[in-house]
Amino acid sequence: MIFTNLYASSWSTVGKPKEKGLFDFDFITWMAWTWPTASFFIFIALCITVMYFWEKKVPGGNPRKGILTLNTTRGDRLFVSLLSAAFIHLAWLGLTDFNLWFATFISSMFAIFVFKYV
Amino acid sequence: MNKTLNQKAWYFVIPVFALVAFNAVVPLMTVVNYSFQETFGSNVFQWEGTRWFKEILHSERFHASLGRQFIFTFIILLIQLPLGIAIALTMPKKGWGVPICLILMSMPLLIPWNVVGAMWNIFALPDIGFLGNSLNSLGFDYNFTQQSGDAWFTTILMDVWHWTSLVVLLSYAGLNSIQPAYYQAAEIDGASRWDIFRYIELPKMKKVLTLAILLRFMDSFMIYTEPFVLTGGGPGNATNFLSLDLVKMALGQFDLGPAAAMSLIYFLIVLLMCWVFYSLMMKDEGRT
Repeated sequence: MIFTNLYASSWSTVGKPKEKGLFDFDFITWMAWTWPTASFFIFIALCITVMYFWEKKVPGGNPRKGILTLNTTRGDRLFVSLLSAAFIHLAWLGLTDFNLWFATFISSMFAIFVFKYV
Repeated sequence: MNKTLNQKAWYFVIPVFALVAFNAVVPLMTVVNYSFQETFGSNVFQWEGTRWFKEILHSERFHASLGRQFIFTFIILLIQLPLGIAIALTMPKKGWGVPICLILMSMPLLIPWNVVGAMWNIFALPDIGFLGNSLNSLGFDYNFTQQSGDAWFTTILMDVWHWTSLVVLLSYAGLNSIQPAYYQAAEIDGASRWDIFRYIELPKMKKVLTLAILLRFMDSFMIYTEPFVLTGGGPGNATNFLSLDLVKMALGQFDLGPAAAMSLIYFLIVLLMCWVFYSLMMKDEGRT
C-alpha cells in the first residue's frame, strides 16, 4: 500500500493522523521532501537544461580567459555562480539578520557578473 | 575540415550515472531536505527554515571543530610535503633498491584505516605501548589519553606515518619522468644540487605536487576513522575534528537537522577547496 497514515509529532497533534502532503509516498517519506527544497532542485535541473539548449545553440562552451586568469567555459561559470551563491547565502545567514531574499538578489547579480567577466 | 559532432558515446555513461544517482545524489538531496526540518523519527518532519544553518554558523562548538580541522590539515601538509619530497629525492633511481623502497613505501597505504588507528593506539599506550613506554622511561611525561598536546602529537605522527608515502610515491613518479638531458645540461652549466632541485626538479614536479596537496588536503580534512579509534576525539574535545563532531551530532545526539546543516557547510568547504586546486592544476593547460 502506497499510502499509510502519518502521525504528527508536535505536542498539540500527538497521535493524530497528519494531513497528506504531495510527496507523502511510502517509499519516499524518508527523503522528507518539501516544496522549498524541491523547488531548489528543480531550479538546478532547469539550469542544467538551459545549459544544454544554450550549448545546442552556441556549441563550444564559449571558452575564454576571464578576470581570474582562469580558462573557463560556460559550465565552469555556472559552477562558480552556484558555489558562490551558496557561500553568499551562508555569509548572509551568519553575519546579518536581514531577509534572506537579499542574499538571493546579490547572488543573482554576482552570477550575471560571473557569466560576463569570469 | 569539418568535424562531425557525435556525442552518442555519452549514453554509455548512463549506468554509472544511475549508480551515482542512487548512492550519492539521492542521499545528498535527503541531507538538503533534512537540513531545513526537525524530526523525532518515524518519518515525521517539521519545517524549521534556516534555523539550523543559523545555529551552526553561530555555534562555538562548530567554530572550534572547524578551527581544529584547519590547524590539523595545515600541520599535516607542512610536515608531509617537504618530508615526502625529501624521501623521494633520496630513493634510488635504479637497481635492486627500487622495488624494496617502493614496497616499503606502499606498505602503510595498504593497511585499513581502523587498523592503523588500533595499531597506534596500542603502540602509544603510556604503560604497555612501545612508543608510550619508551617516551615515559626516557623521562617525558607522555600520556595521549589524558594530555591534549600528547594526543595531537600522536594523531599527527600517526597520519604522517600513514600518508607521507603517498606524497613520496607521487614525487618519485614525477622525478622519474624528468629526462636525463636536463641533468646533463645542468651539469655542463655547473649548477649546484640546490639549483638542480629549485630550477629543474621542483618545476617538473609541480603537477604531481599539486595533486599530492589536493589529495592530502581532502583526506586529512575528512579524516575520521583513525582519530576515532586512536583518541575518540579526546581527551575532552582536544582532537574532536569536524567529521568526528558531525557523527557525534548526527548519531550520538540524533540531531539530524543541525547535523545535516553542518554537513552541507562541510561539503561546501570541501567543494570550494576542490575547485581551487582543480583550477590551479588546470591553469597552465589549454583549457579547463
